Amino acid sequence: MTAETIKDLRDVPSFPAVYAAALTPSRARRSRRGTPRLPALAYRVRGVRIDAERARDVDHLLGGAATDLVHPAVLHILAFPVSLALMARDEFPFPLLGVVHLRNQLLQHRSVNVGETVDVECRVRDLRPHRKGWTFEAVATVLDQDGAIIATDVSTYLAKGDSPAAEGTGADSPSRRREFVAPRPTGRWSLGADTGRRYAAVSGDANPIHMSGLTARAFGFPKAIAHGMYTAARALTEARPDLSRPLRWDVEFDAPVTLPGTVLVSYEDRADGSTTCVGWRPGRDGKPDRRCFEVAVTPLG
Amino acid sequence: MNSSPRDALILGGNRLPFARANGPYAGISNQDLLTAALDGLIARYGLQGARLGEVAGGAVLKLAGDLNLTRESALGTPLDPRTPAIDLSKACATGLEAVVHVSNRIRLGQIDSAIAAGVDSTSDAPIEVSARLRRILHRASAARSTADRLKALAAIRPADLAPVPPRNGEPRTGLSMGEHMALTAAQWGITREAQDELALASHQHLAASYDAGFHDDLVTGYRGLSRDQNLRADSTLEKLAGLKPVFGVKSPQVAEPTMTAGNSTPLTDGASAVLLGSAEFAAERGLTPLARVIDARSAAVDFVHGDEGLLMAPAYAVPELLDANGLTLQDLDVYEIHEAFAATVLATLKAWESEEFCRERLGRDGALGAIDRTKLNPLGSSLAAGHPFAATGGRIIASLAKHLHARHVETGTVQRGLVSICAAAGQGTVALIESVA
Repeated sequence: MTAETIKDLRDVPSFPAVYAAALTPSRARRSRRGTPRLPALAYRVRGVRIDAERARDVDHLLGGAATDLVHPAVLHILAFPVSLALMARDEFPFPLLGVVHLRNQLLQHRSVNVGETVDVECRVRDLRPHRKGWTFEAVATVLDQDGAIIATDVSTYLAKGDSPAAEGTGADSPSRRREFVAPRPTGRWSLGADTGRRYAAVSGDANPIHMSGLTARAFGFPKAIAHGMYTAARALTEARPDLSRPLRWDVEFDAPVTLPGTVLVSYEDRADGSTTCVGWRPGRDGKPDRRCFEVAVTPLG
Repeated sequence: MNSSPRDALILGGNRLPFARANGPYAGISNQDLLTAALDGLIARYGLQGARLGEVAGGAVLKLAGDLNLTRESALGTPLDPRTPAIDLSKACATGLEAVVHVSNRIRLGQIDSAIAAGVDSTSDAPIEVSARLRRILHRASAARSTADRLKALAAIRPADLAPVPPRNGEPRTGLSMGEHMALTAAQWGITREAQDELALASHQHLAASYDAGFHDDLVTGYRGLSRDQNLRADSTLEKLAGLKPVFGVKSPQVAEPTMTAGNSTPLTDGASAVLLGSAEFAAERGLTPLARVIDARSAAVDFVHGDEGLLMAPAYAVPELLDANGLTLQDLDVYEIHEAFAATVLATLKAWESEEFCRERLGRDGALGAIDRTKLNPLGSSLAAGHPFAATGGRIIASLAKHLHARHVETGTVQRGLVSICAAAGQGTVALIESVA
């Protein structure tokens, strides 16, 4: 394994710059042959202030109250453009706009207050063959000014393409989707056409596939789709965890949530103190229900 | 003493620092503030997952959509979601009425524990549409055909579109609260100097109590604020004397206006919460009872045609409360008289000192008499802290209970405190609490 280099960025990168870089044809991506290699490089941004107004806007968008304890989604939002910038680099082996967010796990070791200053470190790791291509993890670490880890945010992405585990290669490939049996819904989300634009306004993530039907079609999606992390973050708010305690926030994404659209959700409070939320698109005209996401929020300690 | 089936004990409190309107809490809603205040109380007293008897609270300036403000706020905290909640409203007395409401329920044995809370944001006050526009929109929405709908909507005139902010004044007199108070101040001959002295004392007392660390377990910082923003520790009589009168300047009855921005409370944002419970609940949770709620009264005056001053209702409610409990005005150790305006406190005290008022208005044999002014608002009050309407009752009850308890421990004798809060529409609520040690 190559020794890791840490590159300090002066500031959190801006989304337009990252997306512009991602659209530029890359030598690494064009000439790739054989096993792809993830760059042994970490991006670091020091002294990032958690803005109280952004934290408030995130809370309000998700239907929660703006207390001084930061919603864990704010930490993800803070680190996301840094990870994205790393993935938009020339030597990154996959096209950024083609990767699919499969899973997310955020481990928060202590509560975070608005106005706190943190350091953010992002790296990519754990490349694995998948039946549809390759998966890898983008890992963001949020540290306090004493160097103690506040939170670790692991996003697992799928880059579609050939891999040793790709379907038809004989590798372990459970090609049939697990059948989803919807539980009794406890709530309904009526998501307007502006859902993606509203999340973009608070997170900065104006990926065209979330912004409108027109821009989504330009990137091969029939309709605009909701940001996965919007659905995951809203589920966390509605799970009502005690944000003053450490917690783990697990998210698994399935079918995309198309906009405008309706998602049924079902919450369950478990004996271990965790709360789960499954969200699905109700099937119509004989089509089956499609599971969109499953979220678990678990208090730790 | 009033006999009661069992005690309703004040166990502690928490509030946010009060912020000046359109200051650090701009863009923050009542629900945000109330949730933050409740969160702090829950964290301080280890109430995570607790199923309490009730959370009672309210706001004076309240959005129509916030009908279950207290319940929605409580649901956003780590309290057991099966904790019931109720919204109450009685202008500036809302917070104290919430305390009275839950303490009555505890004393009757209906519940064992409760939180009494209050919140207000003048920065996020509701703005409504005009009554005419509202009627037009309802008519349009009830129309059966597109043509009828368009016909209804065609009645809209540009003037109908002007937003309607909350009314700053009494609907029946057209006068603002400050203008009403200026009339009462003139009637009682309350001087500018006396008002400024009271305002200065309020700032000095509050600053001293902060410096002594008194508020460390009563206030949780929010949005970068750790003390009440309105507090001017360095205020002086000279600075206060330099301010121009703002109320009474348009009233011909007020020869010399005396009420300034310095001796009137500013518009503020904030929230407060008080934890109450039975002795059993306190023991179960290992909490130290600070004080018990003895009794409360409310009164109202007919201010509409000028029979009495708008904010004078507590002057009537307090004697009734004292009589019911066999106490004289001088039997009390601390007087917490809400400083809506410095003149309100001074006019109330002057009324109790007046033979004429006490005979003719209260039907008593003579005056209630003067109080020892060193016992008045010893921790500072609304002139310094600010007055987010419904949050004031909780602020006073929590700090008074803590203060009485500390004095009791110090002196070995039971300490009695009076809380008096005037409210819009000529109302007032007063309560008596006594230390537990």
